Amino acid sequence: MHDLQTVLVLSRWQFAATALYHFLFVPLTLGMTFLLAAMETVYVTTGRQIYKDMVRFWGKLFAINFALGVATGLTMEFQFGTNWSQYSRFVGDVFGAPLAIEGLMAFFLESTFVGLMFFGWDRMSRGKHLLITYMVALGSNLSALWILIANSFMQSPHGAKFDPATMRLELTSFTDLIFSHDAQAKFVHTSIAGYVTAAMFVAGISGWYMLRNRHMELAKRSFRMAVLFGVFASIGVISLGDALGFIDGNAQPAKLAAMEAMWKTKPPPVGFNVIAFPSQKQQRNLFDIQIPRLLTPLVTRTMDTVIPGADQVEKQAVVRMKDGIPAVLALKTLSADPTNPAALAQFRAHEQDMGYALLLERYAPDLTAVTPADYQRAARAVIPDVPVIFWSFRVMVLAGFVMLLYLGIATFCSMNNKVQERRWLLKIAPWLIPLPYIACEAGWLVAEMGRQPWTVYGVLPTWMSVSTQSVGYMVFSLAGFVLIYTAFIAVEAYLMLKFIRKGPDEGAAPAH
Amino acid sequence: MIVLRILLYFVISLVTLFLVILLGQRGAWYFAWVLGTVMIVLIAAAGGALLDAQEEAKHNGR
Amino acid sequence: MELYAILKITWWLLLGVLLIGLAVMVGMDMGIGAALRYFGRTDGERRAVLNMIGPHWDGNQVWFILGGGAVFAAWPTIYATAFSGLYVVMLLLLWSMIIRPLGFEYRSKLPSPSWRNVWDWGLFVSGLLPMVIFGAAMGNMLQGVPFHFDWKLNSWYTGSFISLFNPFAILCGLMSLSLALYQGSAMVMNRGEGAVRERARRLGVWGGLVALVLFTIGGFWVARLSGYVVTAGDDPAGPAMPLHKTVEVAQGAWLHNFGAHPVLWLVPVLTYVSILLGAWALRRGWSHFAWWLGALGWVGTIGTVGAAMFPFMMPSSSDPSQSLTVWDASSSQMTLLWMLGWTVVFVPIVLVYTSWAFWVMRGKVTAAHVEGDDHAY
Repeated sequence: MHDLQTVLVLSRWQFAATALYHFLFVPLTLGMTFLLAAMETVYVTTGRQIYKDMVRFWGKLFAINFALGVATGLTMEFQFGTNWSQYSRFVGDVFGAPLAIEGLMAFFLESTFVGLMFFGWDRMSRGKHLLITYMVALGSNLSALWILIANSFMQSPHGAKFDPATMRLELTSFTDLIFSHDAQAKFVHTSIAGYVTAAMFVAGISGWYMLRNRHMELAKRSFRMAVLFGVFASIGVISLGDALGFIDGNAQPAKLAAMEAMWKTKPPPVGFNVIAFPSQKQQRNLFDIQIPRLLTPLVTRTMDTVIPGADQVEKQAVVRMKDGIPAVLALKTLSADPTNPAALAQFRAHEQDMGYALLLERYAPDLTAVTPADYQRAARAVIPDVPVIFWSFRVMVLAGFVMLLYLGIATFCSMNNKVQERRWLLKIAPWLIPLPYIACEAGWLVAEMGRQPWTVYGVLPTWMSVSTQSVGYMVFSLAGFVLIYTAFIAVEAYLMLKFIRKGPDEGAAPAH
Repeated sequence: MIVLRILLYFVISLVTLFLVILLGQRGAWYFAWVLGTVMIVLIAAAGGALLDAQEEAKHNGR
Repeated sequence: MELYAILKITWWLLLGVLLIGLAVMVGMDMGIGAALRYFGRTDGERRAVLNMIGPHWDGNQVWFILGGGAVFAAWPTIYATAFSGLYVVMLLLLWSMIIRPLGFEYRSKLPSPSWRNVWDWGLFVSGLLPMVIFGAAMGNMLQGVPFHFDWKLNSWYTGSFISLFNPFAILCGLMSLSLALYQGSAMVMNRGEGAVRERARRLGVWGGLVALVLFTIGGFWVARLSGYVVTAGDDPAGPAMPLHKTVEVAQGAWLHNFGAHPVLWLVPVLTYVSILLGAWALRRGWSHFAWWLGALGWVGTIGTVGAAMFPFMMPSSSDPSQSLTVWDASSSQMTLLWMLGWTVVFVPIVLVYTSWAFWVMRGKVTAAHVEGDDHAY
């Protein structure tokens, strides 16, 4: 049974669930490695044992998290092929390269040295060990770099062109691919979001210890270093987030319209919806609270640029669908007869809108007989899920500012050695640990759900990317993932909490 | 030996310089990430070391 | 020969190198995982065995990840067709493989014997099953897989999942498992002492000999299998498009390459010589030497499959003319070139620091050793 629609929905659920799950473990790895490196730097330069104890204790928690990050990362590499095979074939020439380089340049570095980081303490000089810790940090962040370069290609495809002779996108410029603005901003934003995650994690647990007067020396130092690390990182995350919004908004007007719940195009400057209850069905906000005139300068950096609302995005999509139809029809001819000159000329004349015709094909399988109703259904599909994206975006931003506020106050207090007197600061610290995770997951939702209905924005629609699986296979794999991943997270959480409660080994550290 | 070592450092700095120029030109944000990360790590480390200094000052003051 | 054709062949060879790297390094770890409960009878012994590869399993696993990434980048059509076609098998492979990192990291974190037993069996499954599946996948490639493309080059797999576990594929799977046990045993002998080392010696010798027997049976079997021959329309320098050639199926065609170039017979001979010599070396206790001979055995084995199938990579049994070959399943010239550049720069660097890591962690690992280390597995 090859029921495409059901398989598509199940595949999307499976990918989203496994990616979000994987992303529970990645941010901590990105940040914790550098935080460990900072702690070890102090150990090596001052020679104080307490810093080595810190590295070993936080390193142990890091390792519990890291194992699951490695395990769930494997899933991602498989899934492009197993569930999104047409996508993989269509963009593999471009998308596969950063993935392979990620393995070659980043994973080898990270994984080879992470073993030495844990097992090599007594087998090399302090300086060498420190270098290895830095290599692990660099390796994990480089892997984020390459995967986000790949992801950015999906968001705003640069450096590739469709070749009808091979029926796929082919690389035209490697440097355009890796230096695309989207890739740059997205990498920095994501990597530093990981730093904030690690900071909140370490500060939260240290605060919990300090409140109970446990492991004071270790907790005090960890707290100080974490909040300092975090406060600068969160400033970076927010400013890069703003830059990313600017870039993505320009590249993907549909995503921008969804993020801001802008159904109608209005003359600038338009207001910013602080709160809104968007209704996808009625194409309007049932309720909203606006700050007038704010949105236009926020996303365009001017007062008079028109921001297209959903209505205009849809209208333009219909124009492009109509223009793209001849390209897809020519492509069918070219598939059987690759040198047909008439078909080739027709394809070239319309190729820039091919993606939109492919999107239309989902609603009108016969592109030679498209009804106005088909166009309208396809146009509606160009706008992603507004309520989810609108709210995910706000949750992310709010969480970001709350963390900045907390880290700022905590840094101030910690630098003045007033943390122990501000009990409330320590009390809320552990409760704030979920915040960075919520922010990271929400950010991922905005980026990926906001890109729908495309896998490669404007070029390859999601419905065409999916493998030709049967519904039975999909149910089997989804059930398997739910089972295994639930067991995994239970084990991880249990071990994590157990080792946090147990705390660092006391006595192993002679007082300095 | 020392000449070789100096030569090696020279080559490394040349390559670094080249990469920095290249990054600065096309990958300004990548470059910012490198600088920012180094800065954040060093500030965090300095903050830790400062705590030790503050504690010692307190001890000596008593 | 044109640049594009040369690049395709280069990447075919590099794929071979990656598969060999994967088989040797990951295979070693999986052999150890699968035989963990045999190597170590007590918890102390088992921990010692785990810690022999403790610092390295993660780095080794990157051979697997890189293998996947390189297939994606250099052979995207094969990546897409194979991973989606073999869906259930791929998921079994994945699920068994993702138990492994947790098995290593979490097993010794709690003292409870039943906790540790569960993870031991987890490591057993995640060592045994992937090696069988690797081999079985190779076996299925040799037989051809039922798939075809539509006009958009979307691939359709028309076989059943059970048919992938046919007798020939299982034979290949068992052979790959035996070689993995051999390789793992050699490593355990390198870094183990006493009873553990003795058990590894016994298992290693058996693993090598069984692998040779299965290799021989497989060889005769392949001679009777239906092989594939390109008869027209597959231009080595042409665009990567698998729809415009014709392919014929002929019994014993997988031996044609050997017939045309008798020098290729040296490749299977390499397997025999190195594994026989390796089994003997293991008996004598020269495990380091035997480890390297095992690696050569993998070179011979994977090389034999490659030599037999060239230029085929993934033949289609249901529509042979749509089979995927070296000439029509690769990436574009520019991607292959860029990837080659990255490979040429980074593979030597990786080899250097990997070797350094092994050198730093060299020496015997014993139960007493492990007790004293706070991060030990």
